[in-house]
Amino acid sequence: MDLSNNNKRRITNSFIILLTVALLILMLFPFFVMLVSMLKSSKEIYHIPPYWLPKKPTLINFSLVWNTIPLANYFKGSLIIAFGTVVLNTMISVPAGYAVARLHFPGKKFILFAFLITQMFSPVVVVISLFKIVIKVHLIDTYLSVIIANAVFTTPFVIWMLNGYFSGIPKGIEDAARIDGCNRVGALLRVILPIAAPGLVTTIIYTFIYGWNDFIFSLTFLQTGEKYPLTMGLYQFVGRFAVQWEQLLAGAFLAILPVLILFFLVEKQLVSGLAGGAVKE
Amino acid sequence: MGDTLLNPRFRKLKGEVGLAYALLAPAVLLMVIFMVYPILYVFIISLFKTNKLAKIQSFDGFRVYGELLSSKDTWVVIGRSLLWTFLGVAVKTLFGIIVASTLNVKYTGRKISRLLFIIPWASSIPISVMLWQWVLHNEFGLLNHTLKTIGFSNPPVWLGEAHTAFASCMWVDIWLGIPFMALVFLAAMQAVPQTLYEAAEIDGATRVQKFRYVTLPGIAAILMVATLLSSLWTFNDFNTVYILTKGGPAGATNILITYVYLNSFQWLKWQKAATLSIFTFIILSTVSIFYARLFFKREEI
Repeated sequence: MDLSNNNKRRITNSFIILLTVALLILMLFPFFVMLVSMLKSSKEIYHIPPYWLPKKPTLINFSLVWNTIPLANYFKGSLIIAFGTVVLNTMISVPAGYAVARLHFPGKKFILFAFLITQMFSPVVVVISLFKIVIKVHLIDTYLSVIIANAVFTTPFVIWMLNGYFSGIPKGIEDAARIDGCNRVGALLRVILPIAAPGLVTTIIYTFIYGWNDFIFSLTFLQTGEKYPLTMGLYQFVGRFAVQWEQLLAGAFLAILPVLILFFLVEKQLVSGLAGGAVKE
Repeated sequence: MGDTLLNPRFRKLKGEVGLAYALLAPAVLLMVIFMVYPILYVFIISLFKTNKLAKIQSFDGFRVYGELLSSKDTWVVIGRSLLWTFLGVAVKTLFGIIVASTLNVKYTGRKISRLLFIIPWASSIPISVMLWQWVLHNEFGLLNHTLKTIGFSNPPVWLGEAHTAFASCMWVDIWLGIPFMALVFLAAMQAVPQTLYEAAEIDGATRVQKFRYVTLPGIAAILMVATLLSSLWTFNDFNTVYILTKGGPAGATNILITYVYLNSFQWLKWQKAATLSIFTFIILSTVSIFYARLFFKREEI
């Protein structure tokens, strides 16, 4: 009896492992292709039939891509957009998140409802008007236009996340600070924010990733190639008549790496935040 | 009147309300200027003839609305968007449940597989789509090379033909969406009380029965939230189609979202694009109000 049970368990376990491996191959195939292709020379990558693995692995594509396209500029563009989005978003979301979590005022439910609904909108619905507005206020072809657009589209979700974090802090802590002579704003800055710091880090990383991955607003608002972030720069490279794929993939690897690392830091909080607290962290 | 003003509680409350509005003002202002106003503006553009520079020319009423609603092209694109969304979400949900189930079993290396499964979601989406473009390359791509190796001598030119191009776009969108589904379902599965499984085991339930009668009801509520959320994201996925095929070949992969964008910034038909934006807005609002109400209902419990 015991033996057969053990056998049964072993069979199911090996089935699960086989299934996991198959699914992982499915999910990771493009990254595997990226990793092997970026190590191939231009001769090897365009060989027919294609090689699975590079015959003579080389890192030359990493230096070549810096010369073929202005990769440093693209990195700069991505960093400016991502940091700008973080700064603007934090400046407007923290006060708003505090207000909805801690204060009582008429229309609170409506505001939360409105934020929840706007979170679902596609940038495409408003991109025509935004384009016209951006032209009218002379922000076309500036990072600021892309930053504002990304900050607007991240704000609803971040306010919701912060609402959750701020609500979780016991009221008594804030009251104690106020008895000690802090006003509300002082209590927010000196007491609430430090306690909510881990949550704040999550939303900051989320907005950073959002800005880093921006494609549609850069595509629409930026016109000079030097200002492009990585997403646009690489996209334009793919669109060229003769793409040097081996170099593009090296560039893609460099562009993906930073967000990949950041993402792993906040993945659990993001999942529970996106599921509206339906699942715990 | 004077009495209530003197009431310290009222005064305290009044200060609190003022502070709340002051703190909310920047966020609300930004949302009004860059989301509410633009939607009204798009609506206005849709009522006017426009030139190539998107300048409003003369009042046109709802003419383009009628024109678009009676045009076959519009319905083809709307139909494709719905197929894209429903099929996409169904497959994402199915794969999400399968992946979550495998991750819910204890084995060594489970943590690593969990990390690996997240990678498609964690990496930059526009760039992942570009990777697929290379994977799907008909001459040098390793997908067709694999297919040839295992015996398909004549694999398709994936992005070159209407049906395979649409299937490719759908697959890439699905692939991008699986990790989120898997993680949400995994978290939900882990929240199902272990005692329920033990009780089922005592009753002699099989693995399938345990899944059917314990796991599924346990994750039902989250399943609802996740699929709704996912359908909005899937419907809104601009990057996949735009980067992979730009709606081509011959418009065969356009969904509403990319169709709006191409009509405006590519073909400069601003009035048509604005009208299509309003259609998109109506579809999205309907679903998101449904979602928000579901959400608030749960919040109140």
